[in-house]
Amino acid sequence: MTTDTRSGADPAPLAGSARGLRSRVGRAAPFLPGLLMLTLLFLIPMVIMLVFSFWRTNNDFDLVRDWNVSNYARFFTQATYIRTFIKTLIMASAVTAAGLAISLPFTYFLVRYVSRRLQRAVLLAVIVPFWTSYLLRVYAWQAILGEKGALNQFLMGTGLIDKPSTLFVYNDLAVFVVLIYVYFPFAALALYAALEKFDFTQLNAAQDLGARPDQAFRHILLPQIRPGIITACIFVFIPILGEFLAPTLVGGAGGSLIANLIINFTRQGQYPEGAALAIIVAAFVTVVLIIFRRSLRVEDVVTRG
Amino acid sequence: MARGTSALDTMPVSPLARQTRGLLAILAGATLVFLYLPIAFLILFSFEEADTPGFPITGLTLHWYEKMLSDSGIHTALFNSIQVAVIVAILATIIGTMAAFPLVRGGIRFPGAARILFTLPIMIPGVLLGLGLLVFITLLKIKLGLYTVIAGHLVFTTPFVVLIVAARLQGFDRRLEWAAADLGADNRKTLRYVVLPLIAPAIVAGALLSVTLSIDEFVVTFFTIGPQLTLPLFIITQIKFGVTPEVNALATVILVGTLSVFGLGTLLLSGGRRFGRRGTE
Repeated sequence: MTTDTRSGADPAPLAGSARGLRSRVGRAAPFLPGLLMLTLLFLIPMVIMLVFSFWRTNNDFDLVRDWNVSNYARFFTQATYIRTFIKTLIMASAVTAAGLAISLPFTYFLVRYVSRRLQRAVLLAVIVPFWTSYLLRVYAWQAILGEKGALNQFLMGTGLIDKPSTLFVYNDLAVFVVLIYVYFPFAALALYAALEKFDFTQLNAAQDLGARPDQAFRHILLPQIRPGIITACIFVFIPILGEFLAPTLVGGAGGSLIANLIINFTRQGQYPEGAALAIIVAAFVTVVLIIFRRSLRVEDVVTRG
Repeated sequence: MARGTSALDTMPVSPLARQTRGLLAILAGATLVFLYLPIAFLILFSFEEADTPGFPITGLTLHWYEKMLSDSGIHTALFNSIQVAVIVAILATIIGTMAAFPLVRGGIRFPGAARILFTLPIMIPGVLLGLGLLVFITLLKIKLGLYTVIAGHLVFTTPFVVLIVAARLQGFDRRLEWAAADLGADNRKTLRYVVLPLIAPAIVAGALLSVTLSIDEFVVTFFTIGPQLTLPLFIITQIKFGVTPEVNALATVILVGTLSVFGLGTLLLSGGRRFGRRGTE
């Protein structure tokens, strides 16, 4: 680590062949612990999970190492799995759309009309819940949606209902609302980073040249913040594919998403079956990431914290 | 507020634009309320007297906080969580900071692939990370315990440290190092007295972030833990038994705790950024 700093600074004049090789190895060395760690604890486990997904468990839940694709066949033939997977995709899409619909006006207002200093403060207010306990943020919704929650209290106060309703929690709508809440900060951060670089006088220019406000918005603003929009979508959509706490805590009996099925298999010791579902999700995630890799700005969302 | 800013604007403002701005202001305000309302009610309910927290509020008490403080289950879980978080933060910070240098300054053969490798664990859902580790551990016939939890947490905390430190290194003025070398400092001294102090805010922020991420992590812990409980696992078992006011008190303490750690980190990072900018100009 120490040998790299100076030779890296001015590689050209000093790079004799032997020295160049040594400095190259020296410069790469600090990378090794991280590479080793991720290989051992991330890449190899993923490969082993893939292998597991082609094995099976017998009736005593012992692992049997005969290669077969029945775990995958089951996914495509049994309606429950397909239905849950499609439901997960729909839920993820709906939350993504709603998240954008809320965060775009929010960040637009913030960047365009709020003073720089206040912007920072508001942004901080958005990020703060983002780094606090995810479990507790989901749990906190019980205080709103539950039978003795704030929503019931409010509705009874206004006289709309006369006794507490249990309809607000333990259903898909509750999961939908909670997921928007949980993932909103991701979307807001990604969009903020994109809008921050946008020069809003362009919109005025477009309108001076005869564009209607909506045309200026669509043809001038949207194309320029496209990477931000895509990053926002990915940061909301992908985690929901692995989401199981919100369905567990506020989703009720029929609220299961695909990750709940993976967990159920694991609880019953049926690792190969769970692994097959996990691989299907992982494949889906990988494809999404590959398609949008050029537009994805992970740093915009992550390093602001 | 709309009028105040429009006075500064040199452009003529149409009634439509003013209406849009007003509407946006209301939406933005509503969004902030949406973000904090659940937390506010959770905190309120932690002071509620009744055994089943909720409306109507019958009276305020600190009883649940006292009860929480004397609950040995919470003590054990908290101790486990802290133990894991501290070790994870130390390891992730060291490994991550080291990895950030070649990522930013070159020297590795496939920088693109390396970048992807270090962003994947952030993007991939925790269920997949956790299950992958669990099957790996099962195959190796290793016993599950707190050290397997530490291994699991390292996977997703280290990349955060890498990204944060790398962002700081990106804006680093290399001329400062050359100056140090001109003045006779060797590489070790340059690193110790010039480079590390300048990127220290990012390193500390990365460490603090690792602590909060580790303490809050539920999914990966769920897969990789043995018979022990960490704080989130303890909380979820409590919630499953039925909502207890003690959990609300505990939740309030954790929220306030992570908020302060987080606030400290942000202050450090923004303070560091300002300093760094001055340094490079």
